Amino acid sequence: MAAAKHSQAMFFQARAGEKIRNKVLQKALQKAKPLFVGKRAKAIAALPDDGFEFEALRTACVDIRNRVLGDLDVWLELFEERARATGAEVLWARDGDEICELVIDVARRHGVTKATKSKSMLSEEARLNEALAAAGIRPVETDLGEYIIQLAGETPSHIIAPAVHKTIDEVEALFAEEHGRPIESRTSADIPAMTREAREVLRQHFLSAEMGITGANFLIAETGSAALVTNEGNGRMVTTLPKVHVVITGIEKIVPTLEDFATLMRLLPRSATGQSISNYVSLLTGTKQPGDGEGPEKTVFILVDNGRANLLGSAYQEMLRCIRCGACMNHCPVYFSLGGHAYGWVYPGPMGAVLTPLYTGIENALDLPHASTGCNQCASVCPVRIPLPDLMHRLREEQVERGLRPWSESWALKAWAWLAGKPALYRWVVRRVSRYLQWLADADGRIHILGLAPGWSVGRDLHVPAGRTFHELYAARKRA
Amino acid sequence: MSARHEILQRVRAGVGKATYAARRAAAEASLRAPLRGPQPSIGDDLVARFQDKALSLASSIERISDPAALPGAIKRFLAAGGLPGQAVVSADLASLDWLGSGLEVAVRPAVDADRVGISSCFCAIAETGTLMLLSGAETPATVSLLPETHIALVPRARIVATMEDAFALLRAERGGLPRAINFISGPSRTGDIEQTIVLGAHGPCRVHLILSGESL
Repeated sequence: MAAAKHSQAMFFQARAGEKIRNKVLQKALQKAKPLFVGKRAKAIAALPDDGFEFEALRTACVDIRNRVLGDLDVWLELFEERARATGAEVLWARDGDEICELVIDVARRHGVTKATKSKSMLSEEARLNEALAAAGIRPVETDLGEYIIQLAGETPSHIIAPAVHKTIDEVEALFAEEHGRPIESRTSADIPAMTREAREVLRQHFLSAEMGITGANFLIAETGSAALVTNEGNGRMVTTLPKVHVVITGIEKIVPTLEDFATLMRLLPRSATGQSISNYVSLLTGTKQPGDGEGPEKTVFILVDNGRANLLGSAYQEMLRCIRCGACMNHCPVYFSLGGHAYGWVYPGPMGAVLTPLYTGIENALDLPHASTGCNQCASVCPVRIPLPDLMHRLREEQVERGLRPWSESWALKAWAWLAGKPALYRWVVRRVSRYLQWLADADGRIHILGLAPGWSVGRDLHVPAGRTFHELYAARKRA
Repeated sequence: MSARHEILQRVRAGVGKATYAARRAAAEASLRAPLRGPQPSIGDDLVARFQDKALSLASSIERISDPAALPGAIKRFLAAGGLPGQAVVSADLASLDWLGSGLEVAVRPAVDADRVGISSCFCAIAETGTLMLLSGAETPATVSLLPETHIALVPRARIVATMEDAFALLRAERGGLPRAINFISGPSRTGDIEQTIVLGAHGPCRVHLILSGESL
């Protein structure tokens, strides 16, 4: 798969250890988690005040997404026809490389030297910024979080809060260098001034760029429009000021009508940031119209597959319902122990643990479907009820079916199965193991280095098991 | 094979249904009669609801009885806030008596140097305290975007309950969609540095709403 060449997902375990030991990262994550969880919980709890039931809204959102996926061929052609009728150009890209080729071609046709970007995860799938820079076109990320990580030369670690892993001191060092000033000592009271500084620098880019590049939260088939949801207003800037607007979006992002869009908007911001609505919600249709004093002269939609079509009709089709709210990662204990970079590709957290193997090859992301505690919080908060743990289980099964698991694992499971079929021997072995673990433990009842599997005890201790096995205790109780 | 052809072929294989023409007809029929999802119950006092929600989104609000009083109200608001008396105004409000108010206004799309932008709105949504603005020759989108202060006239009669009601109004009053429909809910904001909310990320840091019309 083409996307695999940029994936670092096979290094998940090595990165996980590194991220757990990174104290700066851990501090940033511990600060963010209660905010994400608390804001969403409050917003969902307030739904009944407006006469809504969360489950009824979820059902409505699931129905809309399923309706589209069930006839996606029809909806894609309808969207394409209606978008063209408004004067937009509609192009198609099989993969990330084709996205880059198409965007660069549009840029060259219109003499573009600088492109301002509103956050687009698909452009991360395509590594578009690198391709643009190589073609002599300067990409400028304008979402504040994306701007920060572009300065740092990093990738987003969260789909809606890309710089969640950065502390104020790190941001200050990046701003000082890029904006040509000395580093100052900063506290949270300085965050408004730092935001102001970025606003002034980015304003000049907004005004001078010839091309604006955005994703789309949704494509609306009825009107041929792109829907863009932002809080900062950068999405409005890059779709209003440059003469060319390019929308890069996955083929699964279609919703049929404006009413369907309104329904999804009741859960998207609440699930993402706990807002009842995001500050700016824009529906962008065609190009500037006769008499308009502003707006793009050229609008191009790039509809992207990059692995999506293969999920239709598969055991993983439900994943295509995803509306990219980020609630699954915001509620994931694995995500908040490691941050997003450990996952090694564009999408982190539970949705990334499913999407990365599916889009880059199951064999190229073996650890990700195992990066789960099975707590099911992701599925219980997902606004479109994607059964994320079930999909991770299915991916694990597929690893076994395709012989992708290490020989030691299958050997160990076979040995256990053999042993479990021989009750007397099983009891004898379990007794021995229990005694062995007690012998390994220190005075506090903790095992620091697990003899047969030392890797397991790096970064965590094992509690010593109770003195006797279940069978021994059961037998003793029956006698008593 | 073109990318379009190949992707659509893959999608068709994944969808796995043969009856394209019938499915297409059903999809088009569903677009002609759009269905609403669950609707909120927010009471009958849409103006009060709109005000509550807009205030909670960090907008400020005042009321005037007659739109003709708008220039004077804005003059007082700007003076009280120590804000400049120069503003860019969208063309649909050009006929008001700006000169008489002592404000210095320009009727055009906004530019970077403009500090205050004054616009109307197509309608407003009570459920979320949101303005709905349509781009157009008379209503340039930059007026509500580039200046630090955005002041909007909201006629009470144009406050509807939901986004669905706003779309119904749009379909009834306009033929098609403008280049941009912008739903605006308070000042621009970001939380990207250590999750600390700051107003005025890229758009206005101040949104002042002036409700016009007699209360019932």
